[in-house]
Amino acid sequence: MERATTTAKALRAQITATELQLQNLKAQLATLESQEPPLQNESEKIPTKWPLTPDEYKRYGRQMIVPNIGIQGQLNLKNSKVLIIGAGGLGCPSSVYLAGAGIGTLGLVDGDIVELSNLHRQILHSTSSVGMKKVDSVISYLKKLNPNVRYVAHPHHLTPQNAAEIVSGYDIVLDCTDHPTSRYLISDTCVLLSKPLVSASALRTDGQLIVLNSPPLPQGNPEGGPCYRCIFPKPPPVDSVVSCGDGGILGPVVGVMGVLQALETVKYIVAGGNSGEGNSMLLFSAKGTTGFRSLKMRKRNAKCVACSSASELTLEGLKEMDYSLFCGVSAPVSVLRPEERVEAREYERVKGKEHLLVDVREKIQFDICSLEGSINVPFSTFEGSGLEQPAWLDQKLPADAPIYVVCRLGNDSQIVARKLKELGLDQNGTREIKDIKGGLKAWRDQVDSSWPEY
Amino acid sequence: MTTKPSTSDGSFTILYFASASSYTSKDAEVLAAPLPVAKLFDLLEEKYTGIKSKVLESCLLTVNLEYVDVPSDASSTGLVIKAGDEVAIIPPVSSG
Repeated sequence: MERATTTAKALRAQITATELQLQNLKAQLATLESQEPPLQNESEKIPTKWPLTPDEYKRYGRQMIVPNIGIQGQLNLKNSKVLIIGAGGLGCPSSVYLAGAGIGTLGLVDGDIVELSNLHRQILHSTSSVGMKKVDSVISYLKKLNPNVRYVAHPHHLTPQNAAEIVSGYDIVLDCTDHPTSRYLISDTCVLLSKPLVSASALRTDGQLIVLNSPPLPQGNPEGGPCYRCIFPKPPPVDSVVSCGDGGILGPVVGVMGVLQALETVKYIVAGGNSGEGNSMLLFSAKGTTGFRSLKMRKRNAKCVACSSASELTLEGLKEMDYSLFCGVSAPVSVLRPEERVEAREYERVKGKEHLLVDVREKIQFDICSLEGSINVPFSTFEGSGLEQPAWLDQKLPADAPIYVVCRLGNDSQIVARKLKELGLDQNGTREIKDIKGGLKAWRDQVDSSWPEY
Repeated sequence: MTTKPSTSDGSFTILYFASASSYTSKDAEVLAAPLPVAKLFDLLEEKYTGIKSKVLESCLLTVNLEYVDVPSDASSTGLVIKAGDEVAIIPPVSSG
């Protein structure tokens, strides 16, 4: 009885998914028909005995003659619809190889615009595309590379409300996003719509790659591939999530992960599905000599809240999911009272008097640029430290000389200022300890516009 | 992992990736074997206060390159890490 209920549930989910897909196909057809020029193009006008156009044989010849690709592999690619979510460090390299390989339809989802700080790694955007929508920038490049592909721009972020409608129009999905909330949302959507998911990520000098939900069997079928929640059921604590903007990222590291995503996608499509090799995760590290490490993954988790038979996740329920709540939201730090903080322009006025300025950014950032007379005590040296007097404090500093704390944006500086007070460095209130509100960014905005913004 | 410690008799290697590496300030170290997997997180918590809730609970764990489930309570019987094994702590990396 229980089994029957589960099957019925899986069937209902499949029906909803298929209906959505049908809707999407109809919409696509309607758009096409409304745009279609009266004259059909050359290849469709003259029926030939060959399944590809002359241009296509030439263009794809070098990959078609690779063993296991062949004409069938090429036709599989031509008939496939691939969705790339995120048109940044992973999405650029993966989309360029997929477009080059002759995917039939390539969709791109991203709501962001191109920024100057993206260009060292997001290889399809150029200096002149700063300010453009990322999807438009990528598609304009790809069209020049391979005009045979049909490109679909989704110039907005994926949300629980639009996810199923967008994803249902494609056969396979690449997660090229940069946050836990989108990773869980994409995985859940792919489970509900039975789509395989090629997921990659990168930070600093390390990357991860995993093909999820492969084979993409319906929810509740233990033979399906594991989903993101099977591997990482619990999201990382919100204050441990480091973005590329905060943690840094090396261009070739994220590039290599994006290229590997394209490779896994091509392999999957050419083989006409999961090759049955079992699921693994590939770790890449640019540090040391190990390089790549392949880890054998688990099967679907029998208690998974998304893909197991115990799951209560449905397409209707997806729309109501609050992924920010699940992953946590990082609130701006606010541990100091207003009178315990100074504006950057106020600090500019008092800096002639005797004082100590403590810059708590990591040394690598301090070395890029620092304020005159400041000393560097990285934030990480305060984490887990006890109540001993800090060695960096010059004993000759007069007891009433104030201490100012500064960081990049004004969060860590508050935590350190509070800690210094707890250590008694405020001499029972005779010494002022304050942080610079808004950090060095505020210094640039209010005092010195030449301050390097990195 | 250039400084991978060697495992002599009675010890295993543990590798720390991403945030686990930043938290411990190590890429790898050697710990005493045998050790039940169920006791690993408590042992690491003793060495690195706070690591359990800040890092380990959202990580995946592998032993000899294979995924293993971490039993939810330390007294349960489960896999035992043997001398010479290689354990890896792999936190989710979400950026890209």
